[in-house]
Amino acid sequence: MSAYSHLAEVLAEKYDVAPDKIRPEATFSDLGLDSIMVVEFLFDLEDEFDIEVPEEQAEFETLGEAAALIDELVKAKGG
Amino acid sequence: MSKRVFITGLGFVTPHGEDPNTAFEQIYRGESATRMVRSGTAELGSDVLLAQVDFDAADRIPKTQQIFMARASQMAVVAAEGALSSANLLDQDVDLDDCAVYMGCGLGGAEIIEKCYRTYYIRKSRRGRPTAVPLIMANAPASHVSMRFGLRGPAHTFSIACASSTVAIGEAFRAIRDGYIERCLAGGAEAMLNDGSVAAWERLGVVASEHADGPAASSRPFDVERTGFVLGEGAVVLMLEEAAAARARGVEPIAEVLGYGASSDAHNLTEPTAVGQERAMVAALADAGVPRSSVGYINAHATGTQMGDPVEVDAVKRVFGDHASQLAISSTKSVHGHLVGASGALEAAIVALALQASRLPPTANLTTPDPACDLDFVPVTGRTAPDLEVAMSNSFAFGGSNATLVLRKV
Repeated sequence: MSAYSHLAEVLAEKYDVAPDKIRPEATFSDLGLDSIMVVEFLFDLEDEFDIEVPEEQAEFETLGEAAALIDELVKAKGG
Repeated sequence: MSKRVFITGLGFVTPHGEDPNTAFEQIYRGESATRMVRSGTAELGSDVLLAQVDFDAADRIPKTQQIFMARASQMAVVAAEGALSSANLLDQDVDLDDCAVYMGCGLGGAEIIEKCYRTYYIRKSRRGRPTAVPLIMANAPASHVSMRFGLRGPAHTFSIACASSTVAIGEAFRAIRDGYIERCLAGGAEAMLNDGSVAAWERLGVVASEHADGPAASSRPFDVERTGFVLGEGAVVLMLEEAAAARARGVEPIAEVLGYGASSDAHNLTEPTAVGQERAMVAALADAGVPRSSVGYINAHATGTQMGDPVEVDAVKRVFGDHASQLAISSTKSVHGHLVGASGALEAAIVALALQASRLPPTANLTTPDPACDLDFVPVTGRTAPDLEVAMSNSFAFGGSNATLVLRKV
């Protein structure tokens, strides 16, 4: 189960990102999110997947990388 | 010679809706916005009388901005837009760069504070929402108004409980009169009807219980059967403008701000004193430079608590002597409730509209006046006041801060 589709949904719904902009290779800057919005977005994901993203690991550039990280953390949790 | 200050626009997000004129008509007719509301969680809920605002951010605020705005800020921005539009300053060729923002706010992002505590104590996570601090801060409404409209004058927030927005308007008036600023969006915003806040207010014993005649009859300032006030929410913003600047634009002012006075009781956190209130009213009148006998109407602070209302009556008598029985005094909290940080702004706006319309809004539900309250409170029914020239608005806050504005018909 990929986190990507959920991330895409939250970006469209809460952050009003145009669907055609949402691609795995898009950076958060491409998506129109500034730094505080990215932090907020991470918080939403932690909330939704009941995980914690340790600061050292929060070094993703693209949406695809963020999704991969979430998948990894969810898997590590056994979920 | 000091400058004159006009109110040239009004913006409302209130329990009586967003159109100031429609709201005034409803308030004039004594139509209450009080409803019985179920407040709280399933286990700890309570039926409470509240004056809520029908405002859904989803329809009014762009999604990406919603992330950064608590309800008070959302309502403030919409009210500010209303004030600018009403003053014919929205999307016009007028440079608003120097416009200031002076807002009253009692608490701030109350519902966000609640969510943070839930995360910490119930979800047992230290990692709450990152945007919590800027969402909670009481100065957020003023900041959002400044950001939304590109206003680069000072954006100040006055947090003085029930007197917050009266002080905001008074200080803005002074800043314009003394030449520091030319134009200011001055008002207040409050959204404190989240579960935790309502539960806290209930404990003070100042919140009204339901009257036998129903929710609409439950806010009864000066009446023998009064049991307290109805908590409300909302945002009201006034455009205050220096007279020459307003004239140069050809805008018709709604009313003039003439004077402002403030004082402290230095007495008690929740009990008022007549002496302190008198001091503020006297200061306001001196500031306005008008004789006491010129005041035809006072919009009272009177919240409908057993203790508070007679103190204000006493204070008014001290200030006005024989003239006290000649002027009209009403508490419109009887229909719109107590908007706390926004109450001063709503009530000042009502005074401005009353002056413009030469009509006095009533104290609704005043069917049996308390013997200790024996002035002309415009009971139940509003009335015309063709000779109304000068009026006053009082706000007397917890903590003993008192503030009074004097307005004049233009």
